[in-house]
Amino acid sequence: MSAPHPTRTPRPGIELPDTTVLRTGTLSWLFPRRGALAAALLVPLLAVLVALSVTASSTGMSLSQTLGGLLGTGDAGTVMVVRDFRLPRVLVGLMVGAALGISGCLTQTLAGNRLATPDLIGVNEGATAAVVAAAAGSATGMVGDWWLGPVGAVAAAALVVLCAGGAGTAGYRVLVVGIGVSTTIGAVSDLLMSRENDNTAGGVFLWAVGSLSGRDWSAGTPLLIALAVLVPLALASGHRLQLLRFDDDMAAALGVELRRVRAAALALAVALAGVAVGVGGPIAFVGLAAPVLAQRMAGPTRVPVVCSALTGAALVVAADALGRVIAPVELPVGVVTSVLGGPFLLWVLFRADRPARKDRS
Amino acid sequence: MTDQPTPTPGLEIRELHAGYPGRPVVRDVSLTVPAGRVAAIVGPNGCGKSTLLRAAARLHTPDSGTVHADGADIWALGRRRAAHRVALLPQSPRAPEAVTVAGLVRYGRHPHQGLLRQWSREDETAVREALDATGTTELAAERLDRLSGGQRQRCWLAMVLAQHTPVVLLDEPTSALDLGHAVEVLTLVREVAAAGRTVVMVLHDLAAAARYADTVVAMKDGRVVAQGAPDEVVDAALVKEVYGLDADILRAPGDGAPVVVPRARAPRPASAPVG
Repeated sequence: MSAPHPTRTPRPGIELPDTTVLRTGTLSWLFPRRGALAAALLVPLLAVLVALSVTASSTGMSLSQTLGGLLGTGDAGTVMVVRDFRLPRVLVGLMVGAALGISGCLTQTLAGNRLATPDLIGVNEGATAAVVAAAAGSATGMVGDWWLGPVGAVAAAALVVLCAGGAGTAGYRVLVVGIGVSTTIGAVSDLLMSRENDNTAGGVFLWAVGSLSGRDWSAGTPLLIALAVLVPLALASGHRLQLLRFDDDMAAALGVELRRVRAAALALAVALAGVAVGVGGPIAFVGLAAPVLAQRMAGPTRVPVVCSALTGAALVVAADALGRVIAPVELPVGVVTSVLGGPFLLWVLFRADRPARKDRS
Repeated sequence: MTDQPTPTPGLEIRELHAGYPGRPVVRDVSLTVPAGRVAAIVGPNGCGKSTLLRAAARLHTPDSGTVHADGADIWALGRRRAAHRVALLPQSPRAPEAVTVAGLVRYGRHPHQGLLRQWSREDETAVREALDATGTTELAAERLDRLSGGQRQRCWLAMVLAQHTPVVLLDEPTSALDLGHAVEVLTLVREVAAAGRTVVMVLHDLAAAARYADTVVAMKDGRVVAQGAPDEVVDAALVKEVYGLDADILRAPGDGAPVVVPRARAPRPASAPVG
């Protein structure tokens, strides 16, 4: 125990609680131990879920058959089913989940609210409107290309930001405006849908509940490229995002360019949710649940970007697999997450009341 | 307190105007505080003290005028560079949820850190020294929200000190504290200045300003109405001008610092109780 005012002798540095420091030369990195442990546990869990999901089906393919298909040693039919249909679909689900998880994490951090999700800033409604409009406009009435979703999502989010008065605005305002804009865009989608025939409406409906059915590398490759750009940016932004947990004056006094950090995080959140929704449809509750679960695992003091990605991926892969085995007819992944999401939301709401949040000194 | 042969300006504010559209809050304020000195800004609520401090911390864009910290125009610097020179402790800052004391103080190093330089040896040393200087070393592993008000304020000060800036700005650092903890924090402020930093703080308490500051700056309606050594500035006329109060100025028996004792206002004739 040191005296309150010790003499000026050089002393060793301070140990940060629950953090491991990695240093080489002038470079140094911090690793929160609890978050790292959570991630280390989530990775094998995710691997197991992917394996189960590739195996799981209503057609009854055994584990050894699946493995054979994966390695290319099985018969041609099995190899094709596993490599061209099952594996891409599961990996697309994994990427969609990771994107939704990170997007939710960024949105919740921006808004300072655990109930904030990317769909509140118009991402889902915008993507849906674009897909509906394209289906209504096309001769065949088919659901169009994967890129319609992201374009619609980004356009809607841009409209929200414009109405809210700039991307640097405090998160709360963006959310409130987002709810209004979303409702309006949703009404336009409904109007368009009501004028379509049953065939088109059915196709759009399947997309609009969130489904990974039939997703292959044609959707997976662009998604992979988008994530390869966006995920590192999101990870890099985590360092600055920590500071958003202070009030604005304190964060700014600590050298944070608030408008720029907020605008960047919002753009990343919209882009990630946009590509995810474009490929998988608006899969409900993953953007809400993943960061909340990740926060509980990684501990309250960090912005859990990595754990949110892993948790989101695990949720979507698991929900998709569940949807394929639980019922005689395949349930879309969005239906499964919705069914699980309702009780989860209530759990979050009840928990949110409990912890005493009086940090103001 | 400390007499330096050539006082270098720690903070130099020149002809500063700041405010909101249609509502000037700070009008033509010039103020020079040498390195190693403490200045206290006093004045009634809404006189522009906090806005002046925010402009000096590069948080509120001034309409005109300059702010130099340690010789550099902070409005010509980026936000991060400015945070290398000026630190600000707002009046009631909000801490991240569930943060520990060490976790809080380490954020003071944020302007010095980057993606590839997240925790250098200098960061470690700065945090250690800040904890030592504020007597919060033993509290390092505690959660901030479980500490008393006085302890918490010392932790916030530790964070600001860890930022290693030549200029430290404090907005009412004692407002939520009882007398004992207020004196503790103000003593700490003197030690910070003695170590060579420039401290400018907004204070409500004129007596505390007179005792702990080298310079008292009195503001009213956005203007500086008096500035100088407490002995020269703090008198009955100033109290009358700034607060509209009749007061007696006594001298503390210990060190001769001015003590302000407001006189009871003359009761209004209509409701005057018979005495």
